[in-house]
Amino acid sequence: MIQFSAYKMLQTADGELPLDVNFTIEKGKFIAVYGNSGAGKTTILRILGGLTAAEQVNIKVDDVTWDDAEKKLHLAVQKRSIGFVFQDFALFPNLTVRENLEFALSKGDSKEIVSELIDLMELQSLQDNKPERLSGGQKQRVALARAIVRRPKILLLDEPLSALDDAMRFKLQDYILKIHQKYELTTIMISHSIAEIFKLSDHVLVIDKGRITKEGTPENVFSEQKISSKFQLTGEIISIKKSDIVYVVQVSSGNTIVKVIATEEEVANYTIGQKVLVASKAFNPIIQILS
Amino acid sequence: MNVLQGIITEIKSHEGLSLVKVKANDFVFSSIVLDTPETAGYLKLDNVVKIIFKETEVIISTALNPNISIQNQLLCRVESIKKGVILSQVTLMAGKQTIESIITTNACEQLALHENDNVMALIKTNEVSLSAHD
Repeated sequence: MIQFSAYKMLQTADGELPLDVNFTIEKGKFIAVYGNSGAGKTTILRILGGLTAAEQVNIKVDDVTWDDAEKKLHLAVQKRSIGFVFQDFALFPNLTVRENLEFALSKGDSKEIVSELIDLMELQSLQDNKPERLSGGQKQRVALARAIVRRPKILLLDEPLSALDDAMRFKLQDYILKIHQKYELTTIMISHSIAEIFKLSDHVLVIDKGRITKEGTPENVFSEQKISSKFQLTGEIISIKKSDIVYVVQVSSGNTIVKVIATEEEVANYTIGQKVLVASKAFNPIIQILS
Repeated sequence: MNVLQGIITEIKSHEGLSLVKVKANDFVFSSIVLDTPETAGYLKLDNVVKIIFKETEVIISTALNPNISIQNQLLCRVESIKKGVILSQVTLMAGKQTIESIITTNACEQLALHENDNVMALIKTNEVSLSAHD
């Protein structure tokens, strides 16, 4: 279990912003952290990892104190059982894939875990290559494997997939889930993708201006059960066009665009760029198999 | 979008589906939802909910007692008609409740709809969405 409580004054482009966050995470859970840029998400991970200091901080992991500002207790970064993966790949360019993983081993550790991770992450054919020969997705797979080499209890992921295209993201999500389960990790991932959060996480923390404004399961946080309809997407209005006595409203969501018929009275309340929920009942959509 | 406020008077659930009766003014709407009281907190007797259905899902019948499977049948008076080339918007009054319907102009002409005509507004059970009242 992770018990986290921190207060830190952040310096942002818009001036000072107090980060004031408390949360408890059960062992083995997959937590997503969601929110606008500059809300303090990365700072939370860095404080937990011991990379950033805070004015007030109290962190306990499985009843071991990692940080206690009052007692001036601070466990060193290397003593925290944490694996980190950031958006940029941060591999050693002069080492091969296997050497990158071996470099992360503690002195005296068996190399067995390296071979196990190479198999698990399907890096066998790449293991003797240097990072420059790898694609973005491959590099991130190596970075994930490297984060696990020391068998951490906690895996911290700071938008690890945001630089990748959709196909690669989906694949990497599967790898992340695989290692989360196999190594019984408690994983905390910052993500901007609601689809990704639904796929991976058990629990979401929504951070806004340095505070947790909402938390719960992805279903509760993002669908809010506003409406009983089961066919829902959220997106932005990108155009409103008159068509006979009705209007066609185009809504862009992820990489799809849907069109919805609306009346004149309704479009009076709509503006381009507005965030909207589009809903239809589960009884209407038709499924066709794509071959 | 037609939005009416109502009170849940009956819930019948089976294998994840619920048939919900919601009383709005004097009319009891039927709605079918893919939820049960266990999965959705708003599904509670006497709970106030919004009944939502789209204008394009409101069927109009000039026969006042149609022998038809549609469960939601409201006696209405035609308040006004806005005719377009393809589509027409018919504003209906069910008592004091306004209900909008969008049907094809062909249908509108075929039915020879005029203001103050008495008609039935028909809405299929599976076209009615419910929303927790906020």
